[in-house]
Amino acid sequence: MIALDRASLRYGPILGLSPTTFELPDGGGITGLLGPNGAGKSSLLQLLSGLLPPSGGAVRIFGEAPFRNPAVLARLGLVPEGDRLPTGLRAGRWLRMMGQLSGLSGAALDQAVAQSLATVGMTDRAHLPFVRMSKGMRQRIRLAQALMHGPELLILDEPFNGLDPEARLTLMALLRGLAEGGVRILVSSHILGEIAQLTDRILLLFRGRLLAEGTVTEIRQLLDRHPVELRLTGEAQVLARWAVEQPELAALRMEEGAVVLSVRSPREFFPRLQRAAAEGGIPLRALDPLDLNLDAVFQYLTKDHA
Amino acid sequence: MPIYAPSLPPAPDLRHGQPPAVVLMRFDLTRLWRQKIGRFFGFAFLAMLLWKIARIYVDHLLNTNQAFKPMQDFARTILTQGAAFQADLLNPASYLLWFLVALVGGGLVARDTLYRVRPLMYAHPVAPRDYLLAKLGFASVLPFAILLPFALLPWLMSLLLAGLSGPVWVTAPLRLLPAMAVSSVLMGSLAVGASSMASTPRAGIGWVLGLVLGAGTLASMIHHLTGFRAIDALNPVLLAEAWPQLLVGVDHPLVAWVPALVGTAAHIGLWTFVAAKRTQPSEAVL
Repeated sequence: MIALDRASLRYGPILGLSPTTFELPDGGGITGLLGPNGAGKSSLLQLLSGLLPPSGGAVRIFGEAPFRNPAVLARLGLVPEGDRLPTGLRAGRWLRMMGQLSGLSGAALDQAVAQSLATVGMTDRAHLPFVRMSKGMRQRIRLAQALMHGPELLILDEPFNGLDPEARLTLMALLRGLAEGGVRILVSSHILGEIAQLTDRILLLFRGRLLAEGTVTEIRQLLDRHPVELRLTGEAQVLARWAVEQPELAALRMEEGAVVLSVRSPREFFPRLQRAAAEGGIPLRALDPLDLNLDAVFQYLTKDHA
Repeated sequence: MPIYAPSLPPAPDLRHGQPPAVVLMRFDLTRLWRQKIGRFFGFAFLAMLLWKIARIYVDHLLNTNQAFKPMQDFARTILTQGAAFQADLLNPASYLLWFLVALVGGGLVARDTLYRVRPLMYAHPVAPRDYLLAKLGFASVLPFAILLPFALLPWLMSLLLAGLSGPVWVTAPLRLLPAMAVSSVLMGSLAVGASSMASTPRAGIGWVLGLVLGAGTLASMIHHLTGFRAIDALNPVLLAEAWPQLLVGVDHPLVAWVPALVGTAAHIGLWTFVAAKRTQPSEAVL
């Protein structure tokens, strides 16, 4: 569905996005575009949504270049960052206009407006002017305009900014529902927790470069320089005695009722640990991976490339 | 608020819509019509139009009724029927019209900049050319539509009341309509160009008024300092007023033919270029 081949973006002398290559497959699913402010997330989204042409390389969406290409843009929905909408307007009129710009008219337009409002749960509030809507409501309307023409690819730039926790959870549920319905969703955020709640598959950008692509576990396993930290809860002395005999052990720290291990090559270590626990060789009550999460992956990757 | 999103409906048929430029232009027109400013100016221009028509009717009465003979002689001196009278059909609305164009046109592009609407539009099958065409079209159609009854209704009334000998020439619309078209495009392009340089609608209004009045003041200063009359072509207000005079053949128009042609082309070209540059996708980044 999305294919970038050494695509880069320059703003005059400034490199917004270094040559980047990745592919996202067809079909529904959520991919998180992660990176701190200034990492190049918005630059990448502008390339993908056809707002700017790449300065170098190629961008292909549905097999075609998206820049000024109506055939691609008609199959794509964009929710840009921010919640500002013309204050005097009413949501219904605004949606109708955006639907018409996508090529809808007559009964098809009416149906699309009603359906998209129902999808975002705003049917009974469409008559309100934007000025009387909360941030969450305006964000839903922006999402509705992106959904109206039935896009196969939905691009959201920092959609959770400024939303309260309840609205955030509601929007996440909505996005999960859409992904299950077959829409490929690309969500950018600089807040790890949001992406972690939404999806396991990420694209990690840092200083205009794509650092990693894949699931958190896949990426973590590739970070050989940083041994995986595990907390084994049980009889600490016995667990420690067993652990020091393992060739993958890099470091060991004793805690009360637990032992924290730093392990290289976790793919080889985990099966051995499982076997030992199953055979009763070690008194293991609980196993907590301490840095197999998105937060740790992000920290390691950005620290290595800083 | 409930969420109903287990699945999406089938993709709708997108092939039957109207051209994006038409959609955007109609949206702006409907929007203006719903606003108080639209109603206010509608009323103001209607009042002016009625006054003009009333003048023609009174003129007719004075001409046809012998009881009014003394008044008729007097009226002939004040109700001129020559080229200047024809050109004047559009003139009294000029400043009010510029004011309307500034108020409405100043926010046309600036509002979209403020609310970041352009990235959304360009992420739909809308080309920058469509966007620019819609904004220029709206800003030009608006003054043209307002001036249209000023040119046509007095002409129609004059024709009905007095036939070929009425105060308004039978051929007046043939001269006034092209003049209106040129003036309207001049107003529209200036308003859109100025609006594209602003980041809020209020700033856009300021830009339009500043450009119109600033160019006028500059032209007037240079004219009076150097005696170089052609420099008046820098003044968009004079240009808009000069076109009806030029096309109906007034003896001493505000701006002569060549300066008017050069000045109008320069204004339209410059402001359209500015608007085109400022509404490119690179200016509409996320």
